[in-house]
Amino acid sequence: MKNFLKILLATTLAISASAKEIKLLNVSYDPTRELYVQYNDAFAKYWKVKTGDDVTINQSHGGSGKQAQSVINGLEADVVTLALAYDIDAISQQAKLLPADWQKRLPNNSTPYTSTIVFLVRKGNPKGIKDWDDVVKPGVSVVVPNPKTSGGARWAYLAAYAYALETYGHDDAKAKDFIAKLYKNVPVLDSGARGSTITFVDHQIGDVLLAWENEAHLALKEYGADKFEIVTPPLSILAEPPVAVVDKNAKRHGTTDVATAYLSYLYSDEGQEIAAQNFYRPRNQAVADKYAANFTQLKLVTVDQEFGGWAKAQQTHFADGGVFDQIFQPQN
Amino acid sequence: MKMKSKNMKLNRLIILAIAGLTSAFPAFADEGVATNSTEAAEIQALKQEIQALGQKVQALEQQHNAEQQAAPNTSNEQIQALDQKVRVLERLRENDQDAAATVAKAQPKISLGASGFSFSSADSNFVGTLHGLVQVDTRTFRHNDNVQGNDGILLRRARPIFSGTVYHDFDFQFTPEFGNGTPGAASAATTPSIYDAYVNYRYSPALQFQAGKFKPPVGLEYLQSDSSMFFNERSLATDLIPGRDLGFELHGDIDGGVLSYAAGVFNGVGDGQRNTSNTAFQDNREFDGRLFVQPFKTSKTVALQNLGVGVGGSWGASSITNTLGLPNSTGGSSTSSGFYTDGQQQFFVYSPASGVGGVMASGTHWRLSPQGYYYYGPFGLLGEYVISDQGVKNSATLKTANLRNSAWEISGGWVLTGEDATFSGVTPRHPFDPRNGGWGALQVVGRFAELNVDKAAFPAFANLATSASEAQAWSAGLNWYLNKNIRVNASFSRTTFTGGGGAGATAPAAVTQHPEDVFFTRVQLSF
Repeated sequence: MKNFLKILLATTLAISASAKEIKLLNVSYDPTRELYVQYNDAFAKYWKVKTGDDVTINQSHGGSGKQAQSVINGLEADVVTLALAYDIDAISQQAKLLPADWQKRLPNNSTPYTSTIVFLVRKGNPKGIKDWDDVVKPGVSVVVPNPKTSGGARWAYLAAYAYALETYGHDDAKAKDFIAKLYKNVPVLDSGARGSTITFVDHQIGDVLLAWENEAHLALKEYGADKFEIVTPPLSILAEPPVAVVDKNAKRHGTTDVATAYLSYLYSDEGQEIAAQNFYRPRNQAVADKYAANFTQLKLVTVDQEFGGWAKAQQTHFADGGVFDQIFQPQN
Repeated sequence: MKMKSKNMKLNRLIILAIAGLTSAFPAFADEGVATNSTEAAEIQALKQEIQALGQKVQALEQQHNAEQQAAPNTSNEQIQALDQKVRVLERLRENDQDAAATVAKAQPKISLGASGFSFSSADSNFVGTLHGLVQVDTRTFRHNDNVQGNDGILLRRARPIFSGTVYHDFDFQFTPEFGNGTPGAASAATTPSIYDAYVNYRYSPALQFQAGKFKPPVGLEYLQSDSSMFFNERSLATDLIPGRDLGFELHGDIDGGVLSYAAGVFNGVGDGQRNTSNTAFQDNREFDGRLFVQPFKTSKTVALQNLGVGVGGSWGASSITNTLGLPNSTGGSSTSSGFYTDGQQQFFVYSPASGVGGVMASGTHWRLSPQGYYYYGPFGLLGEYVISDQGVKNSATLKTANLRNSAWEISGGWVLTGEDATFSGVTPRHPFDPRNGGWGALQVVGRFAELNVDKAAFPAFANLATSASEAQAWSAGLNWYLNKNIRVNASFSRTTFTGGGGAGATAPAAVTQHPEDVFFTRVQLSF
């Protein structure tokens, strides 16, 4: 019996000494694939050095709204890195998987990087698109995803709407008319930003893609500057994609510590560098300065300033029966 | 193209005619000087008219040329517009297909395969699965002259098993038994009966709560699935382990199963017994628990990943003096409690409670069971040691004692065809399909087990003339896994006894008169 107890003790010690294999699921929005492939690798190395444990991060991507709904429906995300705060709020409110004040847990309202909406046009800019006025002209074919399902599309919609409000002295009727003209020019509404990029780049549909800044740069990088050009309008919107640990899932998986560290590391110098290298605007000023050439300066309005926050913007524009439903008529 | 050349020719003829006329009229006019001024005016008017016509022809020609040049651009634009329309339609079709696939994902799922018939909601929050287990056995005893009816064919187990999940976190299982559920018992006395009926709340893999009727967390061999055991019957060690009981249990797997724990409160059953009445027989409860570690389960050292060691145990104190807290009462022709062999025959009984000097359970009853297994590639090894300390009382002499019975077993197997041996069985690499060269998997298995009854049991609580104080059993067998669901096996067991062997035509005397030699076969369906 003594021998048995010795073996048991030795075994228990062996457990504590052995390296663990940890798995995390990061449920993210459409265009972050490349960012998180690079970041996951860096974090896994960092975590291995720090704790000796191996961590494998699995990724899931799709339209931000769809992804949030999947988590609400039971997709066991340890962390979510979505396109906008409203989608994480929905997870908090509908599934109670994380507290309502989740955004206070990390710096900058839990948005470690920002982005904006720009125009990707075909080489030579044959339709002469320079500003939002140009994309609503008759005969200009515009590619943008569906704001009902895509976070990027909601940012694009609000950027255009903000431009119209600024241009027409905050005349809501005129802004509505402007946005109606824009969506009249949209032949295909994809469910996510990556789908729209495929529509524009691979299927060669449309004259202009309203794209995340990072997605536009990625298209340029992958397909060549001889095929496309980025046009940055003088005014756009400050997109703040937030991140959060899904508390209940992480607790259930026993991954709370590693999930928290995973998101905190996005704010580290290395995390910020990786964000900048993937054309997300870093929060860290030193890193932002280093990569300043990648990011054109423009006037950026915020959702809070122009639309009174995400909850109001969602209700007014994207909820069933909202402005988008009123103005959008499918072409086919 | 023909139309175009015709027009060109016509234009040239008109221009030539005009040029001829203009060159002819000046000569005619010169002659007119000799005639009159009216004619000269008419000629002048005609000249002007001809000039105007010439200009019109030139303008028409220019217009025509311009139209000819513009025509290709218009065609290109039309082609481009049509191309965009086609691309848009194609993309819309792709998106529709994606949307249809998404809708399909939202539909309930039904599947039928080697793991049973299952149906679930699209989000897998609600799942129902139908499993089954059928075991058709034969037992052939070498010395069966004194024990009638032990040779034969029997339906050892026949269980439809319905399990599933509701609301994502609540699992359930319901298992009725229609076979010869209790070892050695007459079928009519035991079937049908409920074996498992429980609900399990899964907060996380590490924290779960289970309530109902199920296997208490004590014995390793007993916790192994009935369909995955090396042999037809569990070993002598399981004679000292509590069987299925009613209770509540907190359990979980930490770090992906590196550490498993379970602790619960149960009604309490005797050694080798299961609760058949689905009620308690006394007021006190029994506490059962088990810790099991697989230290290398998640490590990269493959050879040690399936090494597990642990310890199980129980403690209870009966509030009444009774026979129900004693070991299993089946396996013999009487209803006396005792222990049974691999062939499911009693080799030891406590003195019958109904007779003079009858023995009952009284006071505390605890068990301790260090245990472990190791699986690597085709090799599998499982071992267990059990101590059962049972308070007993002789109802005639009123003598009491705490009898400490012990048992142990070690069993192992080797899959000859190279598949991995696991705690949950063997899956053939090439399922039985002789037409295509598939023959399933073959495994040789062996076991040695021993049970020692406390010497203090004799003679106050048991009769050494009829009951054995010690049994040792060795077994060897061959298991043929035709596929994941069908298994055929044959084995031989020999059990030798110390003590017992006295006169008598019933167990345990009749059983202990010779070593028990028994040949088993089984055809098993499990899914």
